[in-house]
Amino acid sequence: MGRFLAERLWSAVLTVLGASIIAFVVLRALPTDPARLIAGPFASEDVLAQVRAQMGLDKPLVTQYLDYIVNFFTGDWGFSYAAGKDVLPLVAERLPASGELALFAFTIAFSLAVLLTVLVSYSGSRVLDGLLRAASFVGVGVPPFWISLLFLMLFFETLGWFPGPVGRGPAPPHVITGFYTFDYLLAGDIRGALTALRHLALPGFALSLASFGYLIRLLRANLLDVVHEPFITVLHSKGVPAFSAHFRHILPNAFLPTITAGGLILAQLLGGSVLVEQIFTWPGIGTLVIDGITRQDYAVVQAFILLSAVIYIVVNFAVDLLYGWIDPRVRRS
Amino acid sequence: MLRTATKIVRDPEMALGVAIMAVLVLVAVAGPFIWRVDPLKVNVLNSLLPPSLDHPMGTDDVGRDVFARFIWGAQVSIGVALAVTVIGTLVGGVLGLIAGLLSGAVDLVLSRIMDAILAFPPLILAMAVAIGLGTGMVSAMVGVILAAIPWYFRLLRGEVLRLRHMMYVESARALGASNMRLIRHHILPQTVSTILIQASSVFSFSVMTMAALGFVGLGIQPPVPEWGTMITEGLAYALTGQWWLGLFPGLGIFALAVAGNVIADRLRDIYDPKSGLGIGG
Repeated sequence: MGRFLAERLWSAVLTVLGASIIAFVVLRALPTDPARLIAGPFASEDVLAQVRAQMGLDKPLVTQYLDYIVNFFTGDWGFSYAAGKDVLPLVAERLPASGELALFAFTIAFSLAVLLTVLVSYSGSRVLDGLLRAASFVGVGVPPFWISLLFLMLFFETLGWFPGPVGRGPAPPHVITGFYTFDYLLAGDIRGALTALRHLALPGFALSLASFGYLIRLLRANLLDVVHEPFITVLHSKGVPAFSAHFRHILPNAFLPTITAGGLILAQLLGGSVLVEQIFTWPGIGTLVIDGITRQDYAVVQAFILLSAVIYIVVNFAVDLLYGWIDPRVRRS
Repeated sequence: MLRTATKIVRDPEMALGVAIMAVLVLVAVAGPFIWRVDPLKVNVLNSLLPPSLDHPMGTDDVGRDVFARFIWGAQVSIGVALAVTVIGTLVGGVLGLIAGLLSGAVDLVLSRIMDAILAFPPLILAMAVAIGLGTGMVSAMVGVILAAIPWYFRLLRGEVLRLRHMMYVESARALGASNMRLIRHHILPQTVSTILIQASSVFSFSVMTMAALGFVGLGIQPPVPEWGTMITEGLAYALTGQWWLGLFPGLGIFALAVAGNVIADRLRDIYDPKSGLGIGG
């Protein structure tokens, strides 16, 4: 296990380095002048030179890159001109909103996808299987920002069942976890928790669809693979009941890739809810980034891009370890 | 070969995917000749009209015909997605072939780079490139292509690693075949189906991502009607009852993306009945 751990860690560190180089090259070395972005189109040369010096843009590229990664990992993520604040606290205060939305969407996607796929596969019905596949295609193919719009028109404007694009709703009296639903529950306020859930519902469902579709495809394919393995035929011939064959032998063997994918999907949801957050004016990182783009608030965008990659790599690493721990074959290969 | 063709023709889901794709291509190609309305013509007196015979998809806030804009949007979406798919296939595929054939340091470096690219959520990466290169269609396309390259890379590299140790390839090499010859005559033909499947997925990905970039203002710029930016325009009227502005362009994206994914999925089942899983879609 020690060697396995060291190898995976080394690989994760290399990927972080690679990702940081890509983020740096994409945003710094390309034609657009970041100083111009910050100072605006009418800034004079003097001002531009000043901004460049302030941002360290007049140093050689290698020095700039080193500064960039050292700053990122020491928590100096630059200054947001639009918000008038340092970027790190700005992101930190937005993180719980994005985290709650991502977790909500993930829970829906994961539990529904697993439940439906397992039931359909157990039922063996071709019609249900067809419907399930259709649902997965819809989930994967529907643009999240468009379905958000439709949800708003239907469930808010027409039916009035859910709140409109007003973000998270009223904040709980004591913010402990930063997740409104949990904070209300901790305060013993069930109504408050329900209100928080109602605000989560539309953006959460809109965000969950793609992962829902993807997980169905993944789990369904793995279940099909395992069902046709010789050891399952042996089980059936030995007279093992269909139920126990399904839930004790087929499912556990088919489930690992879904867990892996689940971890990575959660990581991507954290950074990938940009458009949905924007539509529902959800006060999370996504909205911060879109605002950063429209106001050309360069530092925010730059920090976010590397952050999204780092989150993904860390989760990937954790999932790898988990996998190695569960399945000894992975450790040895 | 013939059997594969029959399988494709006889597959009802495949037929559905191809039919949707065909209808949208037809709308894009023949649309402007049949629906001769200028998608850019402003007529404020006709603004925000609901769908009717004169305007099958209604009109927008400055009175432009949404159907004419939808047709133009189909051209843009399909054209751009095709370009992205082809360029992505070529670049990612060639890099994958090189890495698989040469192995060693080249493979290691290329694989590391691809891993690093894969660490970014695809949309975020495309957004970053679009910002870095300056807003516009070409930068957005570069962003989407960059996000798609590693998928082709991994696929082709894997295929080459698998195929190069096949007996027939080793024999060809023993007979003195050059790397180029090996690729052209022995390896590439075996990977066509894999590439095709991946390309259909990437087509869908490109349609969705270009629209998402358009939606946040980093993609194709107005006044060119692009489905993503049309949805942004529709968003402003979503809560005042003008549902047609956002609905139709989204339906276009949705139909195109689903068709691409269905085709990819069916191709995969037909070529390789054992696997049922897509990557990158």
